[in-house]
Amino acid sequence: MANPSFMNGVPELLILRTLEPGEMYGYELVQAIGVRTNQAIRIGEGVVYPALHALESSGMLKSRRKLVNGRTRVYYALTRKGEKHLAGLVQHWQHITGAIGLAIGGTAYALL
Amino acid sequence: MPCFDRLSERLLCAGIAPRHVRRYTRELSDHFDDLVREEIQDDASRALAETKALSRLGSEDTLAAAVLAQPELRSFMARFPWAVFGLGPVAFLALSIAAALFAEMGVIQAATMWAPLLGITPGPAAAHRFTQIMLVWNTLVIYGAPLLFAWLFHWMGSRQRMPQAWIVTGVAIVCVVGAFQNMSFYDTGCKGCGYLGVESAFLPPFPHAVEGLARAAFNLVIAGGFWWLAIRRKEASAMMLSRTAT
Repeated sequence: MANPSFMNGVPELLILRTLEPGEMYGYELVQAIGVRTNQAIRIGEGVVYPALHALESSGMLKSRRKLVNGRTRVYYALTRKGEKHLAGLVQHWQHITGAIGLAIGGTAYALL
Repeated sequence: MPCFDRLSERLLCAGIAPRHVRRYTRELSDHFDDLVREEIQDDASRALAETKALSRLGSEDTLAAAVLAQPELRSFMARFPWAVFGLGPVAFLALSIAAALFAEMGVIQAATMWAPLLGITPGPAAAHRFTQIMLVWNTLVIYGAPLLFAWLFHWMGSRQRMPQAWIVTGVAIVCVVGAFQNMSFYDTGCKGCGYLGVESAFLPPFPHAVEGLARAAFNLVIAGGFWWLAIRRKEASAMMLSRTAT
């Protein structure tokens, strides 16, 4: 899926949800999102960083530098505020997907 | 290794804070390395791995658009240039004079307290020496601070790739306003005869107004000279780079 208008808020939801179990660095996060969505959502991998920085600026994420195999990586983790925001987002998207599911189901019935 | 210099320039010119730009390009480089390693593990040649990694990372337009879509990543300077280059110089000068004045008061108090313990006999000779020391300090503050702040505003503005008009405004304000402030101190050696004060030639009865004008011109010439040198140096290094490239 790559329709920008339908992607509004999706990266934010995916990032927060994927970081829920624990901290990750950018590359690891992108791979995890790919696995979680079964590669259905394809975005330029580099665009995840501005979203991470913006989420950090708004207090949803916190970051720390960690030396791994001689390389410094920036690890991102959810804050308490981020957890609360994620709960709200999940509820919102469940409502939306439920509504779309109903709409698709309705069309299917009409076609039958 | 991809070069993100063009992307950096584009983001800085669009007002993204330098710290975000630096961090973004560093993370992109790291991500690129990880992607190349992954592609090589999947049996791609180095050249192919790098091409694939670049394509997975996203085009320069995509990467720039993703940052520009986040308004919170813009710097305070880019959002409120009038505050930084209009009010900032005045605030910086006022704070520097206040800080220098408080420091001076602290030194006077300490000197009064410690002089007898250090074996310094209070009197006209000691007072004269102390006045000379304070004169050097005041001269450094009133002559040095405007030039230091002019350099600071030039550095901050250039780092954020701000329009030249804003940088010139900030530098000019700090050079002119700074030139019209004065700090003075004297001590004659008798108790209660000393004087420590701040004067502004902008306020009635406009003391040292002519001297202020001369100092403003001096500051502007010095700042302009350094600016000209900085431009020459930049041009020279750009020429060197283009020569090396060819």
